[in-house]
Amino acid sequence: MNRRSFVALAAAAPLLAACGGGARQKAGANTGAGLRAALPAYVPSGPVRPDIPSVAGGAGAATDPAFLTYPSSRVATVRGTPGRGGSYTAVTPLWGTVPPAGNSFYEAMNTALGVTLTMKPADGNNYNTIVPTMTAARRLPDWIQLPTWWNSIFDVGGLAGTQLADLTPYLAGDRIKRYPNLAAIPTGAWQTGAWGDRLYGIPSFSSDFVVAGAVFHRRDILEAKGITPGQVRSADDLMNLGKELTDAGRGVWAFDDVWTYLFPAWNVPLTWDVQDGRLIHKYEMPQFFEALDWHHRLARAGYLHPDAVAGRNADAATRFYSGKVLISGGGTGAWSLADHQSGTAADADYRRGAFDFFAADGTSPPRVAMGPSTNVVSYLNSRLRPDQIEELLAVADYLAAPFGSAEYTMVNFGVEGVHFTMKDGVPTATEDGSKFVQAMTFPFLASPPAVISNPGAAVVTRDHAAWQAANVRALYKPVFWNMNIGMPRSLSAADAAQAVEDAVKDCYHGRTKVSEVQAAVSTWKTGGGGDRLKQWMTDNVLDKYGTGR
Amino acid sequence: MTTPHPLQERPGRRIRPRRDRSLLIMVAPAVVLLLVFNYAPLFGLFTAFQYYDPPVGVGNSEWAGFDQFRRLFADPLFWGALRNTLCLSLVQLVLFFPIPIALALLLNSVLSVRVRTFIQSVVYLPHFFSWVLVITIFQQMLGGAGALNQFLRSHDLQTWDITTDPGTFVLLVTSQVVWKEAGWGIVVFLAALSAIDPGLYEAAAVDGAGPFRRMWHITLPGLRGVIVLMLVLRLGGALSVGFEQFLIQRDAVGHETAEVLDTYAFYYGIGTADYSLGAAAGLFKSVISLLLIWGANRLAHSFGEDGLYRR
Repeated sequence: MNRRSFVALAAAAPLLAACGGGARQKAGANTGAGLRAALPAYVPSGPVRPDIPSVAGGAGAATDPAFLTYPSSRVATVRGTPGRGGSYTAVTPLWGTVPPAGNSFYEAMNTALGVTLTMKPADGNNYNTIVPTMTAARRLPDWIQLPTWWNSIFDVGGLAGTQLADLTPYLAGDRIKRYPNLAAIPTGAWQTGAWGDRLYGIPSFSSDFVVAGAVFHRRDILEAKGITPGQVRSADDLMNLGKELTDAGRGVWAFDDVWTYLFPAWNVPLTWDVQDGRLIHKYEMPQFFEALDWHHRLARAGYLHPDAVAGRNADAATRFYSGKVLISGGGTGAWSLADHQSGTAADADYRRGAFDFFAADGTSPPRVAMGPSTNVVSYLNSRLRPDQIEELLAVADYLAAPFGSAEYTMVNFGVEGVHFTMKDGVPTATEDGSKFVQAMTFPFLASPPAVISNPGAAVVTRDHAAWQAANVRALYKPVFWNMNIGMPRSLSAADAAQAVEDAVKDCYHGRTKVSEVQAAVSTWKTGGGGDRLKQWMTDNVLDKYGTGR
Repeated sequence: MTTPHPLQERPGRRIRPRRDRSLLIMVAPAVVLLLVFNYAPLFGLFTAFQYYDPPVGVGNSEWAGFDQFRRLFADPLFWGALRNTLCLSLVQLVLFFPIPIALALLLNSVLSVRVRTFIQSVVYLPHFFSWVLVITIFQQMLGGAGALNQFLRSHDLQTWDITTDPGTFVLLVTSQVVWKEAGWGIVVFLAALSAIDPGLYEAAAVDGAGPFRRMWHITLPGLRGVIVLMLVLRLGGALSVGFEQFLIQRDAVGHETAEVLDTYAFYYGIGTADYSLGAAAGLFKSVISLLLIWGANRLAHSFGEDGLYRR
């Protein structure tokens, strides 16, 4: 799994967060002035020039710089070894095969870092149950990665300062300049690791282009039919495309599930919005039901693949690769080297494309809410001595070396000749490399800002970068953006709103009418805690901290 | 079949462990499994009476008394799940339960051992498939894009997506259970059949009884004890109609049709981190199941059958 498949996960974050619920958090959110004093200065670095430079959009959004090839001159950004021989343990979640302990890559990394860092990747699928046992026993490792979508389950706000080290004295303001690679991580990303106006977390994979996902299509097949994505400018256009592409007799349906990925078309927020100073939940918005009605009609018209209606999501990728489905929603992490390899294995012409964001009516300007600057934040143990914290921050500085640098190559590909070889200017993993070098180990502790790079598949990089550039102006900061909010446990069921979500699913699969979802929402508001949730959010977040915009 | 068993001399408590040592060793792993996975987790039932908060732990979570049960009983979705569970259980009792018995009788009447072994292996095999696989096979055959509907489409006939039709869901899941488990279910009945004294059949044949009379007067009475035992167990499990089967197909027909008590506890307990509510739902199910099995066993005893154990 590489960096971008991870971002697919990031896209699932709002979903996971919705499932998560919350623990009792004392810290609440951050205040403006206090937070500014704790955040580090931003000193961008740029020893490596991207092939496709970043494009700025509105509201601080910007595309990720893209690299078509791998830099041949791999500049060193760290002088000497960062460590002084300390021994530490680190725990990170890993979605995939855990590399064997003490392997040649870990050993090479330890030599390069000058510390003995024992990596203990844990199963990502159970990570939300592993961490609470460690915190309950007060036995966190020296360094741990806590994905932000589990912030409330882990009660990170409560752990900050009690079990997690306060990094403010080491990193606030200009102090971060001791660690130039960390200083090159934008300020917004550091905000995701701030609790109660102090800085605790180290962000990885920060990006100024984080969205919940996109509506993908089989670009090769659509282009062969003379359809270009630019022709889809409204919800009606997309519906008509469904009619044109569906050919049930040949086993081809236009759509797989696209629910939630089209939210931007109707301007439906992920959960909350503020209108005229009042908090409003998406279930209370007319456009939520307009969107739902469109999806209901899509299913009733028979443009949705029957296996998708039957809830068989696990086979969705196979349907897409085999051309049984031509349009499908997903996280932007789907745009990856691995996807390209799987797709072209099924069909040599395979090319993934994504529709640009559009407004359902076809005339309003498109708008899409930005996700938090990162979903990957690591923390140090509060039991560490100051000199140990400084040593690990120096290690983090090494791990955060920019794309294409000597350190980045070491962290992501290992030792040349042992873990990878250069083939046609592209680092290609050897057998040992594919076994031992995992993107979700060291980069999960600290990594430079995200870039688009798919060594060996330039078409993916070009398509992804072009899509980001075409849509970057549509991005806006939603309410409570990058704010760390924790909720009391008694509201977790109300926040998840399982009964409403069940009714919604039945509706967009064409089984029940929109009016039944409206009925489920009224029940949720009174009996399911919806009104209590809104009151709590108003009193404890909106009134105290504002919208964060 | 209640033959009075001969009075055995009961050896003393000290002698038995020594005499049965090998038997006790053989049963030990099963007992350990039971203790670790069935008895130890019972302590988790405390959470049904708490506002359980994982980071705080079972020991320190706030006490809720019967609040979680009040919430549970006030939830119409819970009653919907209970209704679905009972309905499915009843349909399966009528449509599934007799099938292994009939199959066992049929197989028993096949004389060729090779043919019998072959048939038995074939009907046996699906038991070892996972639910994911079974449902995938059904989806490939009966689903909207499956073999049946593509055939109908190619002949311009009306299609029928059976896998997403809430109206026939009960029959769909029951046929899945029959396909997967009927072959496995015959094992116990075949064992009971082989325990019937062949001399009885010979004597009946000599007296001029035809195949039907022999089945009615010898085979079925010979099976009665086992059938009653299986019925008692079935009733005890009336609220456990399966979990994965419904978890996988819940989205296909919607929660109103496919929600059973186990999936309810999963979605509304674990899925939304409302663990205490899930624990309360699970505890409710266990208590009712215990009452059912106790009642059925009493009933069996009052009809002079063995039930779960001999009185």
